[in-house]
Amino acid sequence: MGAFRWWDYGRAVLAVFKKEWLMQLRYPAELVGAVIWPVLFPAVYIFSARALAGPDGEAVAVFASRTGTADYVGYILFGTMLWMILNITLWDLGGHLRREQVRGTLEACWTTPASRVGMLMGASLTQVSTSVAFLLVAALVLRVVYGFELRGSIGPLLLLMVLSILPVIGLGLAFASLVVVLKEINSLVFLVRGIFMVFAGMTYPVEVLPGWMQAVSRFLPLTYSIRAMRAVGLSGAGWAEVRGDALALMAFSVVLLVAGWLAFRGVERMAQQAGTLAHY
Amino acid sequence: MIGAISRSVLRRGWRAALRRERRRATGGMDMDALVTAEDLRKRFPRKRVGQRRWWPWARRENGRGGNGTGASGAAGDEWIVAVDGVSFEVQRGEIFGLLGPNGAGKSTTIRMLSTLLEPSAGTAVICGHDVRWEPMQARARLGVVLAGDRSLYWKLSGRENLEFFATLYHVPAHEVPHRVNWALERMGLADRADELVERYSTGMKQRLSLARALLADPPVLLLDEPTLGLDPQSARNLRELILELKREGRAILLTTHYMEEADFLCDRVAIIDHGTIIAMDSPGALKRRLPHERVYRLELRETNGALRLTDLVPGAAVVEERRDEATGTLHLALTLAEPEQDLAALWTGLAHSGASVVNYSVQEPTLEDVFISLTGRALRD
Ligand SMILES: Nc1ncnc2c1ncn2[C@@H]1O[C@H](COP(=O)(O)OP(=O)(O)OP(=O)(O)O)[C@@H](O)[C@H]1O
Ligand SMILES: [Mg+2]
Repeated sequence: MGAFRWWDYGRAVLAVFKKEWLMQLRYPAELVGAVIWPVLFPAVYIFSARALAGPDGEAVAVFASRTGTADYVGYILFGTMLWMILNITLWDLGGHLRREQVRGTLEACWTTPASRVGMLMGASLTQVSTSVAFLLVAALVLRVVYGFELRGSIGPLLLLMVLSILPVIGLGLAFASLVVVLKEINSLVFLVRGIFMVFAGMTYPVEVLPGWMQAVSRFLPLTYSIRAMRAVGLSGAGWAEVRGDALALMAFSVVLLVAGWLAFRGVERMAQQAGTLAHY
Repeated sequence: MIGAISRSVLRRGWRAALRRERRRATGGMDMDALVTAEDLRKRFPRKRVGQRRWWPWARRENGRGGNGTGASGAAGDEWIVAVDGVSFEVQRGEIFGLLGPNGAGKSTTIRMLSTLLEPSAGTAVICGHDVRWEPMQARARLGVVLAGDRSLYWKLSGRENLEFFATLYHVPAHEVPHRVNWALERMGLADRADELVERYSTGMKQRLSLARALLADPPVLLLDEPTLGLDPQSARNLRELILELKREGRAILLTTHYMEEADFLCDRVAIIDHGTIIAMDSPGALKRRLPHERVYRLELRETNGALRLTDLVPGAAVVEERRDEATGTLHLALTLAEPEQDLAALWTGLAHSGASVVNYSVQEPTLEDVFISLTGRALRD
C-alpha cells in the first residue's frame, strides 16, 4: 500500500502525452504553420546572403574560407531550424504550466495521486516528439523548396539531434516554472530567444562576433548544436571532430534538466505555501 | 543532489514512523472519521500592489524585519490569516458543511485538505494519511471539486477528459472505459459524452467535475461550492446526486454560502467566519439554540389605526413594522416568548381590536438567523 509504482508513473506520463497531442490536433491551423514557417523564416537570411554574395556569388569563396562550406543555404537552414526548435519549446513547454494554471486544470491534475513530475515529463515528451516531428517535416519541405541536401551520415546526425533537443527541454522546463512565477510569457520568450539568436551563431560563425560576445556564446547549448550539426550535415565531419561538442551538449543536458527539475520543485513548493496557483 | 536524496530518505523514514505512530494512536479511536482536521491554520504573505518582490530573499528579509509572527491575525500586516485554527471530523456517510461568508476561509480549508496548500500549522488526515507526510496516499482517497467550472479541458470531450483523469487516478487500464461510462451514467451525461466540454452548460460542466471526482470511487469527497452559478433546477439535481453519494457511505465535505443548501444537505454544519469555526452542530440543533424560534408575520388592515399589539400580547417582540402605502396595510413580524399562550392572546386581541387579518404566515428560523445571532452581520453583505 502506498508504494511508489513505476507502472502508474509511466501511465501518467503517457496520459499527458496523449492528451497534449489530442489538444494540439484540435488546432489544425497551427500544424499548417509548422510547415510554412520553416520555409518563410530562413528566407530572410538566405536572400540577404544572396544579395551580399554579389551577382555571381563572388563573396561565397570568402564565406567558404571562414566556414568550411560554400553551401550557405544549408548553413543558414541548420542554424534557423535549431533556433526554431528553441522557439517552439519556449512557447509550448515554457507556457505549459502557465496555460494549465490559467485554465484551472493544473490544480485539478494536482489533486490526483499522479506524480506531478511525471505529468511534467509527459509534457516534455510531447515537446520532444513535436521537435523531432518538426525537424523531419522541415527536412522534407526544405528539400523541396530550397533543394536542401544532407551530406553527413545519418547516425551522428540523429544523435546530435537528440543531444540538441535535451538541453532545450531542460531550458523549457526551467522556463515553464519561471513563467508561473512571473505570470507573463511574451517578454520572457522575446528576451531569451533574442539572446540565442544573436549569440549562438544562427546564420554566421560565432567567430565573427567580438570577443566578449564569443564568451557569452560559449554558455549557450545552441552554439554547440548548430556548430556540430553543420559540421556533420554540411562538411561530412566524423565523430572525432564533433566529440567535443557532443560532450558539451551532454553536460548541458544534465545541468539544464536538473535545473528544470529544481525550478519545478521550487514552484511547486511556492504554490503550496503561497497558494499562487489559484490566483493568476 | 546527494543532500536532496538523503533528505528524502530521511523524510520517508519519518513518514513511516509517523504512520506507525498514527496507527497506534487511532487504535482506540472512532475509525469512522474519514477526515480529521486538528487546529488547522493557514496564513499567506501579504503582497501589496506596486511592491512585487521578484526575488525570494527580498520577501524573507521583509518578513523577518516586520512583526509578522503569531497566527492570531492581529499580527501586523505582513500576513493574511485565512484559516485560524479549525478542527472538525467528517464521518463515513455524513455530509459536513462549511458555511460562511466570502473570505471566511472555506476554500483555503478545502485546499489544505486536498494537498494543494500546505497548512501553516495543525494537521489534516484523510483516511489515516496525513496530508503533509503522505500526500499521494491522501489524494488517492479523495475526490475533489474546486469552485468554478474551469478545472476541465474545454477542447476535449467529456469522455476524453474522464479517460485522462482516470489514468491519473491510477484506475487500471482495462477498467478505464467501464469506470468512465459508469461515472458518465451516474451524472446523467452519457448521451453528451462525446461532445466538446466547451459546448456544455454550466450545470453539465459541474456534473462532469463531479464525475471526475468519482472516478477513483473515493471514500471522501471535497466539494467547494458545488452549486455555485447553477439554475435552481440544476442545483436541485446536483443536491440529489450528492445525497445519493452520501447514502453510499462516503464522507462528504462541502462548502457553501447558501444557507438553504446547508440546511437541506448537511448532517452537520460548521459556521465559519474570519477563519474560525464559531458554531458546529446539526442544522436543527443550531437553530434550536436561537433565543426565539419562529417569526410570525401578519398583514393587517386596521379600522382605527391605533393598534398596539405589544399591549395585547405581553410576550411579543416586534421584529419588523412596516406600513405598505399602496395597499394601506400594516406588515408586522413578531417573535413570541410563549408561543402557545401568546398566540391565543394575539388572536383574541386582534378580534377585539377590529383589525382584519389580510395575510398570516409563520417563518421557520434559518441558518442565516443563526449566523446573524452569532456575528451580528448578515451572511451575504
Ligand atoms: N493565495 C492567497 N494569497 C493571499 N491571500 C489569500 C490567498 N487565498 C486566499 N486568500 C485570502 O484568505 C481569505 C480566505 O479566502 P478563502 O478563499 O478561503 O475564502 P472563502 O471562504 O472560500 O470565500 P468565498 O466564499 O469568497 O469563496 C481571504 O481573505 C482571501 O483573500
Ligand atoms: Mg471559496
